Amino acid sequence: MTKTAVEIHDLVVAYNRKPVLWNIDAHLPAGKIIGIIGPNGAGKSTLIKAMMGLLKPASGKILFFDNPLDEVRERVAYVPQRESVDWQFPVTVFDVVLMGRYKKVGLFKNPGKSDKEKAKQALEKVDMYQFRDRQISQLSGGQQQRVFIARALIQDADIYLMDEPFAGVDASTEKAILKLMKEMGEQGKTVIVVHHDLQTVMDFFDWVMMLNQRLVACGKTQDVFIEKNLNDTYGGKLTLLNEVGQILSKNQMPQREK
Amino acid sequence: MDALIIITVGFLVAFNCGILGSFLVLRKMAMIGDAISHAVLPGIVIAFMLSGSRENIFMMIGAGVIGVFVTIMIEVLTRKGKIPVDAAIGYSFTFLFAIGIILLTAFADDVDIDEQCVLYGEIIYIPFNVWVTQGGLHLGPTALWIVGLNTFIVLIVILSFYKELLITSFNPDFADSIGIKPIVWHYVLMGLVSYTAVSSFESVGAVLVVGLIIIPPATAYLITERLNKMLIYTTIIALITSILGYYLAFLLNVSVAGAMITISGTIFLLVFYLSNRYNKKVIMSKSE
Ligand SMILES: Nc1ncnc2c1ncn2[C@@H]1O[C@H](COP(=O)(O)OP(=O)(O)OP(=O)(O)O)[C@@H](O)[C@H]1O
Ligand SMILES: [Mg+2]
Repeated sequence: MTKTAVEIHDLVVAYNRKPVLWNIDAHLPAGKIIGIIGPNGAGKSTLIKAMMGLLKPASGKILFFDNPLDEVRERVAYVPQRESVDWQFPVTVFDVVLMGRYKKVGLFKNPGKSDKEKAKQALEKVDMYQFRDRQISQLSGGQQQRVFIARALIQDADIYLMDEPFAGVDASTEKAILKLMKEMGEQGKTVIVVHHDLQTVMDFFDWVMMLNQRLVACGKTQDVFIEKNLNDTYGGKLTLLNEVGQILSKNQMPQREK
Repeated sequence: MDALIIITVGFLVAFNCGILGSFLVLRKMAMIGDAISHAVLPGIVIAFMLSGSRENIFMMIGAGVIGVFVTIMIEVLTRKGKIPVDAAIGYSFTFLFAIGIILLTAFADDVDIDEQCVLYGEIIYIPFNVWVTQGGLHLGPTALWIVGLNTFIVLIVILSFYKELLITSFNPDFADSIGIKPIVWHYVLMGLVSYTAVSSFESVGAVLVVGLIIIPPATAYLITERLNKMLIYTTIIALITSILGYYLAFLLNVSVAGAMITISGTIFLLVFYLSNRYNKKVIMSKSE
């Protein structure tokens, strides 16, 4: 039995008293790369935000390594959706990455040498060090995403929650991010990723959580990423159903590296 | 000597407003400054009626309380009532301002406040309003002390909490996720803005405070790629504004506050034209 990284109990989250997530119950194993999939409006971002304590659940609880978030906050890192910030903001790439250390640096202090060294290493890892002094508006979408990931990397966390890190990035960035995630998985880190592209689910994730306001399924990818669950998650939309058939048949071929 | 005092007070006011305004502009909340500076009117009148004195300190407390009240009101309306923030701002300050006007006219006989002065300020009288201690010691213009203390506090807060203000302005969700509470820093900033609006209106008036909160930072925003530079450019623009504003007013024999805003508005246009021309930075609105 692997250790449980995240435990979600009977979670209900509502906006203006209208629930958008109903009775979610799930255990997410540690050291795995976990995908959260579901149609637009399924509540994927809402779930991530509730996990990060940005939204107060109507009921239920979420535990990280058996603790509420406040007790283990420094072990959990968050990569928000790229659209959630103003990229015209007057900060440089390096400034943004350093923000990952702001809490650890503490009040009344500025990031020091070791923080800057960490930021440098993180930027090198995502291959963005040469852009460190650029204002963030002068980056492509994929580069912006890498900056956000570097910021999470310097938090030295054990659990990473990422909201659509693959949205709008090109093939090479996708590959780079995926490689990084696999490395993190090998180091025993848990990476939880909101994801949209069904074609790549089989390749990317050890584990998936299928969501459409309610939890449809949560388990090992090869066990739960099946036609029935896909239908339940995406509703019987015709075009989608065809696609599902394709995806599944494509993935019958032995192309997974494990 | 008087010129130096007026320019110094003008600069300090423009500096205080501009530094805080930089954060407001980046948070797309510049009009909160507008709300606060108008809403303080009823605060002043009520403080005057309660205390029966024209001592600055009472008026500042009254105005400060209302200033914080209006920011809470706006926050509650947008968060709980789901009203768009611009509508909440417009509602809150016109309502409070109207109450202030009614109080002022209804009790005009008892309340010896010149609304002209509250709204537009009278910076040229500052040198004559000298702080004299009970022992008869002359400590220089009162306004210089008031505004100077304000500058001191703004500097302390900005230098101590630069990174908290930066991260909660840029990415509040992320700040929250690492345990830096955006709401705390929101109120720290709003408290400072209220305090600054109040301590500034004696010099430049409640209305023109808004100009100093928005225009110099907006100008600096056009030409910077880092927040610390934005604050430095804002300071430089505040300095130019106060010097040229004073001499323009002197030459044309017009209101100093009006001249200061006219100068900073002109600087903005100039920078806007030049930055577009040299394509230093394209201004784009945030795509929601
Ligand atoms: N701030 C909000 N106020 C009210 N309703 C909201 C808010 N944010 C999201 N919702 C609603 O909650 C539901 C879930 O939204 P959420 O953003 O979590 O979906 P998602 O699965 O992330 O979708 P997407 O794939 O489009 O990112 C949607 O129906 C949405 O309209
Ligand atoms: Mg989403």
